[in-house]
Amino acid sequence: MSAILIVFNKEMVDHLRDGRSILVSMIYPLLGPLLLGLMFFFVGGSMRVADNVPLVVPIVNAASAPDLVRFLENGGATMQYLPEGARGLVMGGWAAFALVLPATPDRTAQTPLPVRLITNPSRFDSIVATGRIIEQLNAYQRETVGGRLRAAGVSAEILNVLNIQQENIGRAAGPAVILLTMIPPFLIFTLFTGGVHVALDSTSGERERGSFEPLLMNPVRRYEVLTGKLGATIVFTLMALASQVVAFWVMLHVVPQESLGLISPPGTLRLLAVVSVCLPIVVLAASTQLLISAVTRSMKEAQTYLGLLPLVPGLAGMVLALAPVNAQPLLALIPTFGQTLLMGQLVRSEAVSWVFVGITALATLTTTALLLLLGFRLYEREEILFPQ
Amino acid sequence: MIETRGLAKSFGALRVVEDAGFVARDGEITGLIGPNGAGKTTMFRLICTVLRPERGTTLIDGIDSQKDPLAARRRLGVLPDIRALYTRLTAREHLRYFGALHGIPRGELDSRIDELVATLRMEDFIDRRAKGFSRGQQMKVALGRALVHRPHNVMLDEPTNGLDVATSRAVRDLLRRLRAEGRCILLTSHIMQEVAALADRIVILARGTVVLNGTPAELRRATGLYELEEIFMAATQDPAPEEAPPGAATAEPALAAGE
Repeated sequence: MSAILIVFNKEMVDHLRDGRSILVSMIYPLLGPLLLGLMFFFVGGSMRVADNVPLVVPIVNAASAPDLVRFLENGGATMQYLPEGARGLVMGGWAAFALVLPATPDRTAQTPLPVRLITNPSRFDSIVATGRIIEQLNAYQRETVGGRLRAAGVSAEILNVLNIQQENIGRAAGPAVILLTMIPPFLIFTLFTGGVHVALDSTSGERERGSFEPLLMNPVRRYEVLTGKLGATIVFTLMALASQVVAFWVMLHVVPQESLGLISPPGTLRLLAVVSVCLPIVVLAASTQLLISAVTRSMKEAQTYLGLLPLVPGLAGMVLALAPVNAQPLLALIPTFGQTLLMGQLVRSEAVSWVFVGITALATLTTTALLLLLGFRLYEREEILFPQ
Repeated sequence: MIETRGLAKSFGALRVVEDAGFVARDGEITGLIGPNGAGKTTMFRLICTVLRPERGTTLIDGIDSQKDPLAARRRLGVLPDIRALYTRLTAREHLRYFGALHGIPRGELDSRIDELVATLRMEDFIDRRAKGFSRGQQMKVALGRALVHRPHNVMLDEPTNGLDVATSRAVRDLLRRLRAEGRCILLTSHIMQEVAALADRIVILARGTVVLNGTPAELRRATGLYELEEIFMAATQDPAPEEAPPGAATAEPALAAGE
């Protein structure tokens, strides 16, 4: 058996018995899907409720527009007559919106009736209900104007300039798009945390406990020792990735999908493609972790830097979730950023460029190779033996 | 046989080992002693190749450890001053790990481990994880992993440090047995009685260099002193500004001739 395999086997046995390694690689990755699933449930639930219940219309000075009130009631709305204080009601979340009409409308003038719609778009139920009342108000406006035109002997069709027919070719729309775009940053974060405890404990930790020196007194080369430890770190990172991808798959098939605009969740093949895109990052993350452990003076210092490390690629993904960027070939050269773009496209079931996939993988693996070479050189230093 | 010639090592501006040379022969126990900071541990690390000397050579059974460190390490078994074990591995797994790194086939390794378990009296804890091991148990596992590949040369840094009387005696008996098998044993210790009782040859290190080297009888002859502790004190005290350390000037040439 080669020295690399011997060190790898030892690290696997050692860390499979370590509660912290298991926690970091098997339990922490479940938090992302759980959080996203809760968001799906919460957002989907509140939108579904808001869409199905009869529309309640809080209204002030309803007597100013009896025709409008009748129209709304005929459309199934329940009127909630308010003397005043509509603004506070909406702000406090007691009403999804409120209509405020003038107390004394100018009935003789041919000016439109001023209607103030108080809304709170920070609440999902308000967004849905506001959409429904605006739809009703527009319908009332079309019917009234149509009636006036017909009375004047003009066809109401004259108002229609465009006949819009929308065809949705995406598999997701509305809030589902935002929530799905949050999956890649979660995955990137997991790739940089899944094996971190193994990397840290088997290098900085081993050096600090003093067991690194007896290990290097054996007839093994340092790069063999490091490669064995790298292998174990990679396996634990893969375990973290697998557990998170499976959890995402379960979450996407359990959450209320239609209410969010998710026509069908990404299939198993799509998720496997996501895993494939992540593979070069697995090696990159493990190499970076071992490198940081080599250049830091203590386990505590390494822990600090390794804790911050996932934020760098993770934040890029969060930015992409809010401000989408097109997959330009140059962006593929940035390790982790290219993969974040690709994963976003895959989970949203969009088309993916194979050239982009190739460039991204090649750029990441080249960076990894350079980091590994540097790591091997650093582990040849005498200082690597001794905690400082 | 372990032979060092003109070893030198610095850490930054601090010169830790300077022109240090001695021979530890087969079938003998060689005691390497010196005051704190004399460079004993650095010498150990230079010999077992985890540190690289700036100058000088180390030969392990004639193999230049700079030119072929892996071959040199195969012939060395080292018990370092820090016993550091993997707390989640059992004692048996420790021995298997280090034995495998020396390329011993699994079947043969298992029988060697059984032998070591009997020799070092490890029956009670061989399949227990190392977390919570006593100092004696830790030392036995560390000693076992140093011996599992049956090295011809055994280096032990403070082998009885922190051990109770019975375990210390067992370790001393083991060292005598290894000597009887013709192996080369190099040990450091701060316990003068132990070195005096075990060592066939004594190397005294001070300020990074060998100040006295020879059999106990040769050291007594060279210094005119009888007790090892007195010899040690005389050899290692700081030299007066205008004179060499007592014994050093006279002992070295005399012993060199004696070798």
